[in-house]
Amino acid sequence: MAKTDIAGTAPRRPFSKTMLAVFAAITAVGVGCWVWQLMSGLQVTGLSDTNNWGSYMIFFMFFVGLSAGGLIVASSAHVFNIEPFKKVALPAVICSTVCICLAAAFVLVDLGGIQNIWRLFTGPNFASPLIWDVCVISLYLIINILDIVWIVKGDERKVNVLSRFALPTAIAVHSVTAWIFGLQIARTWNTAIMAPIFVASACDSGLALLILALVWLERRNIFRTGEKLFKSLSGLLAVFIAVDAFFIGCELLTMGYPGGSEAEALKVMAFGATAPFFWFEVVFGLVVPFVILVFAKNREKRGLVILASALVVLGVFCKRVWLMLTAFIAPYAEHVPTMMTDYLSYDAMTFGSVAPFYTPTLPELGITVGVLALGVLVFMVLCNVLLGKASADPAPAVAQKSEG
Amino acid sequence: MTHYGMMIDVSTCAGCDACVMACKYQNATPHGMYWCKVIKGEYGTYPNSGQTVLPIGCQHCTNAPCVRACPTGASHYDENGNVQVDYDKCIGCRMCMGACPYGAREFNWGSMDENPYYEGFEQTPYEQMRASEHPRGVVEKCVMCNGRTAQGKEPACVQTCITKSRVFGDLDDPDSEICKQIAEKGAHPLMEELGTRPSVYYVGLQ
Repeated sequence: MAKTDIAGTAPRRPFSKTMLAVFAAITAVGVGCWVWQLMSGLQVTGLSDTNNWGSYMIFFMFFVGLSAGGLIVASSAHVFNIEPFKKVALPAVICSTVCICLAAAFVLVDLGGIQNIWRLFTGPNFASPLIWDVCVISLYLIINILDIVWIVKGDERKVNVLSRFALPTAIAVHSVTAWIFGLQIARTWNTAIMAPIFVASACDSGLALLILALVWLERRNIFRTGEKLFKSLSGLLAVFIAVDAFFIGCELLTMGYPGGSEAEALKVMAFGATAPFFWFEVVFGLVVPFVILVFAKNREKRGLVILASALVVLGVFCKRVWLMLTAFIAPYAEHVPTMMTDYLSYDAMTFGSVAPFYTPTLPELGITVGVLALGVLVFMVLCNVLLGKASADPAPAVAQKSEG
Repeated sequence: MTHYGMMIDVSTCAGCDACVMACKYQNATPHGMYWCKVIKGEYGTYPNSGQTVLPIGCQHCTNAPCVRACPTGASHYDENGNVQVDYDKCIGCRMCMGACPYGAREFNWGSMDENPYYEGFEQTPYEQMRASEHPRGVVEKCVMCNGRTAQGKEPACVQTCITKSRVFGDLDDPDSEICKQIAEKGAHPLMEELGTRPSVYYVGLQ
């Protein structure tokens, strides 16, 4: 077992077998739902020709972001030689690896013809952003795994070199995900700022998730982060939130200002069907956490930091929801003959009426929850195994003590 | 090179949906799936009001967003300059559905034997015969009746149109009937400003 002196006076409490079993059971239910979906087709989901992407692809966007954010923090520590951040590199990379695997899993469950998936490798169309994503996510996963191995071995030189590749790859992985949406001329997604927005929201949601994970690990005495580092991570989070809000603000202004057809999509977001998600993100995902974290005093209060981080993660999730669904509710905003929009956007202006277009069904939610449970399960197992070993490493222990 | 295209004169379209039914019969598309649609609308308030119709399907763009977006090359251009889907290559990611500005693409959410035309009844012999043409989990759309055109016939919707609002022909042949009519009537594709360069032209849109 790991040495407990790292974790302070209390004994290390790794995630128990019962906890692992509970999450394994939820995962099993999810797998069951997936088998059912494979047998009956995607008709068991709430998706339709009008709204052809739903919860799976929303979670895909969400988890690529969470993953990229974790790795950006971890690799920046080495690239820019930010000594205190290096300490959390291992939990950050574990978090990031789990998240990218979840993102990939969400794409796989979304495919209607998974039996043809080998076609991606035998006849790829390199003009498709999806192929770019397959390439960059594979590269990203390899970098993550190498990062874990070398950090655990304590091979500082290799980690330093790898981080110089990890940082641009982490930015690329979320940019490419943005381009899957942003390069489509048919939708309101079609904007050049999509990739910067995705990277900004990756940084804030990924860092917020990392803070939550660190709090959890510290409570269980598996990994000790320390007050000082929490405070500086919280400060960094405030900066990331501000950048995210700035980009979103730029996009919204550009949509609304001309008062033309793009403003119609903005209306759906601000007052129509996707308004609950939009306003949750703006108020509770951006404004409230920023106001909390911008004051140095608040950053010392653990409870407020946890609250702000949780709100940022939820806020970015809400953003994924409105980003995805508004495009199906207000499609072809720019160019389409009015009779086509009439036909396609019934009820779009009824507040909170996402239901007419898309409501996730029970098996769909089962699969979603199953994949999430699998993620938590793998995270717990990896933390139990890897963070034990790392704690036994004397080097971080010294850093820990000097910090107090 | 041949480049099959179509011109639709909306001003003479009666909105009878005969093309929709001819398409369904010709291609045996599954329950609820329409490769050819006629979208009806209304404008104005009484007494200054009226109805509009818009027959629409795949526009067979020559700079098709769906062909770019398809990760496996399942969506491709055929030898007649039209867009086709190879179901064997389709992984059902539905990227093309997001990419298409015309809403032309539809997904096979279930399989035909589970969703017969007549709810509560068995499949008809015709459905049984042709169910295998529509595998589950792939994206489908108008194929410009490539089976019929290979035999020198017109697409089913063109042949059946009661007002002769649809004209089919070779856009690469300047002497063809369709090229003459496009020039004469000043027909344009839908959403031309997107630069998708469709093979379907419209005239008489309100």
